[in-house]
Amino acid sequence: MAESTFPGGSGPFGGFNSGRSPSMANVHEDEESDTITSPTNTASAAAPGSPFANSSNFSFNGSSAHSQAPSAFRPPGPDDQGFPNNYNMTRRTSVSAESLTPTHHQESNWKPPYHPKTEDQLSRLRTSVSSNFLFSHLDDESANVVLGALVEKPIPAKDIKVITQGDAGDYFYVVERGVFDIYVNPAGQVTPGPDGMGQKVNTIGPGGSFGELALMYNAPRAATVVSTEKESTLWALDRVTFRRILMDNAFQRRRMYESFLEEVPLLSSLTLYERSKIADALDTQKFPPGATIIREGDPGEAFFILESGEAEVYKSDSGDTVVKRYGKGDYFGELALLDDKPRAASVVAAKNGGEVKVAYLGKQGFQRLLGPVEGIMRRNDYSGGGGEGSAPVTT
Amino acid sequence: MAPGLGLSPAGSSAIQLHPPNDTVPERCRSTAVLPPDAIANLENSPSILPRRLSLLSIKMATAKFKSHFHAPHGHKLFRANSSNLVNEKPIDEEQKQKEKDFIACFECNGPPLSPSQIAENPRSKEVGAASKQLRVGDFELIKTIGTGTFARVWLSRLAGSPKEGQKVFALKILRKVDIIRLKQVEHIKNERNTLSAVAGHPFITTMITSFSDRDCLYMLLDYCPGGEVFTYLRRARRFDEDTSRFYGAEIVLILEFLHDIKGIAYRDLKPENILLDSEGHLKLVDFGFAKEISNRETYTLCGTPEYLAPEVIRNSGHGTAVDWWAFGILTYEFLVGQPPFWNQNPMKIYELIVEGKVKYPQWMSSDARDLIGSLCTVNPSQRLGNISSGGVNGTALVKSHPFFKTIDWDALYHRKIKGPIIPKVKHAADASNFDNYDPPSDSQSAYTKDMAQKYDQEFKDF
Repeated sequence: MAESTFPGGSGPFGGFNSGRSPSMANVHEDEESDTITSPTNTASAAAPGSPFANSSNFSFNGSSAHSQAPSAFRPPGPDDQGFPNNYNMTRRTSVSAESLTPTHHQESNWKPPYHPKTEDQLSRLRTSVSSNFLFSHLDDESANVVLGALVEKPIPAKDIKVITQGDAGDYFYVVERGVFDIYVNPAGQVTPGPDGMGQKVNTIGPGGSFGELALMYNAPRAATVVSTEKESTLWALDRVTFRRILMDNAFQRRRMYESFLEEVPLLSSLTLYERSKIADALDTQKFPPGATIIREGDPGEAFFILESGEAEVYKSDSGDTVVKRYGKGDYFGELALLDDKPRAASVVAAKNGGEVKVAYLGKQGFQRLLGPVEGIMRRNDYSGGGGEGSAPVTT
Repeated sequence: MAPGLGLSPAGSSAIQLHPPNDTVPERCRSTAVLPPDAIANLENSPSILPRRLSLLSIKMATAKFKSHFHAPHGHKLFRANSSNLVNEKPIDEEQKQKEKDFIACFECNGPPLSPSQIAENPRSKEVGAASKQLRVGDFELIKTIGTGTFARVWLSRLAGSPKEGQKVFALKILRKVDIIRLKQVEHIKNERNTLSAVAGHPFITTMITSFSDRDCLYMLLDYCPGGEVFTYLRRARRFDEDTSRFYGAEIVLILEFLHDIKGIAYRDLKPENILLDSEGHLKLVDFGFAKEISNRETYTLCGTPEYLAPEVIRNSGHGTAVDWWAFGILTYEFLVGQPPFWNQNPMKIYELIVEGKVKYPQWMSSDARDLIGSLCTVNPSQRLGNISSGGVNGTALVKSHPFFKTIDWDALYHRKIKGPIIPKVKHAADASNFDNYDPPSDSQSAYTKDMAQKYDQEFKDF
């Protein structure tokens, strides 16, 4: 991607360190290069050639070779001078993105933009972004919203600069149609004159993507990307939309978990802060119809909240009769947080229903966050009739 | 806390000479008469304020009081009038002299208060309150000791005072126009108010006072002549384990205070933001990203690329646990000389971070590895510092980690343990441990009247 390129030799944040950075300033940010004169500093100056010598620094889909963490792991000694991986030894600039404040879903009037796409387009887009870790971590729902938010951007002519090195970065692009050339000027920005864009370092075609750093924060573009055909098409996604989709998804899920947890009598004495911590620790698991979630007789190790779908409860002494049904927000297995007794019944994803999604937390995970449940239950024993916040009744 | 005067939010006009240990408790007693919600309302409701003044036995004219402590969320008219307050109110020379006397005798490195003392009722502390009397002209700007995109930090002293033996300060000057252009208004407000709330902690830079004029905001900070830990680390390439342990332990005490007592996430831990004072103890500076996180997670991405926690990158919501992640990165950088996740391409750094596989040099001790690995745990619900065990809270678990087994935490907090690096400081105003910076450029865009009308209200806390 475009941001994977850096002006040779000046270090990865050379482009951001000059004080022109619109991303964020740091009071102690040095506008000049570091003045420390130590052997280590020369190591960074002696970066082995241009970053483009190594193709891994210019991957297009963000999934290729990982660079190594510091690799000079020899015992410290007189011969151990400098870092072989040209770590940038200068002061690092802080970065920050636009302030994001979640709106509760009831009062939210922000809706992610939705731009319809054909199945073909969707599957191509899915493939294009699948190798990008920012997208590969998304759950299905978020991924669909993000893909829906990508907007078509026709590029009607040759030689159009889609992004310009040194400019502020707002959008991430996926190539739908056409071929684009990538140029890097070692100066860190386009300079006046015929070769102002610098050297052509690569070409990018359909399915490729560039500008992904713009999805994190506003950093100056590290390269210039120019159209080479009469007509091309890009898909574009801006940072605020992307991060907002992620935030809203996370925020709503957390609040949903918290409201579920509120309904569990065993955990009724949790403070908001504690519930939030537990909500944060819940893991999600999906079960196809008919799959067993917990099995009667097994040791109880985790408790579950049913997030979506329907589950059926069976007991061995009732045969095939469904003794109970669970729907969204119902919880089961919570006694496992108290003791290790075997499960008293089996819970199965309803055979005739859809997929079942559960949020679960193991006893250990729970105790790591809040300590033994017994202690939490004991709070209830001591609190008077006054409800939340009332002083403990001394016995 | 040193005896002080005149800088309390309520504009105390009498010199208060309490024994250091008596100061805060007595104030807490006097304000504790008010129920907690009334104390909270003090900030919002001008009508309650006189009652508080009488409680504090402060005699002062209402006009003076208003100029010093106008309500943040006052009536619309009040707000409209107050937007030009800075320019219109005449300076009260008597009050100003008292404030100057206070800052001149303020001693940052006095016997530390306990964390709870610092936290208790921060609004009654003199130190850290805004001044409506001071002007930049009251200070002599000696030398730039740090710069940023919209801020410059000057070594400074009170103007017109004898140079010999005169106390010096770090005066951080922020240009309003740049703050607005870079959309950092919220962060600057957070910074001032956080620094005000934490003033007095032994290892956090003390904001003695803040003030403003038409174009700029000012924060008067204690001066740390030792310079940045960053400089010492790069010079030494890496710190040995004892040095790393000492600095790490002081950081733990800072995070314990910020997280457990104030509910504040710092969000920009790195060697560049840690200074050494004259005795070799740490001072954490630059609270631009610090945020009070009450019960709820927050989402705005901020920090420094190599130090960002996985949950910040993935925007799944973050809290104080990001500081424990960054503390793991910091400890690694102390011991190894560079952070564990690194690539020339920042996106690759982020990919390595969310994978979270730390590689350790062979020579690193198992205690150090275990500490770093436990802190740099991708899932915040399993991260050391954020988890508890058997009723022991997160910070206490960090403190009891084998890496810190030789640390006497109480002695450390009270600055009784000698720092591993004692900075070479020839005199109080010695700035030789800081780099040289270019003088400020002349071509600066103006803060227009329109902008002042629109934004000055945002800066009223200064």
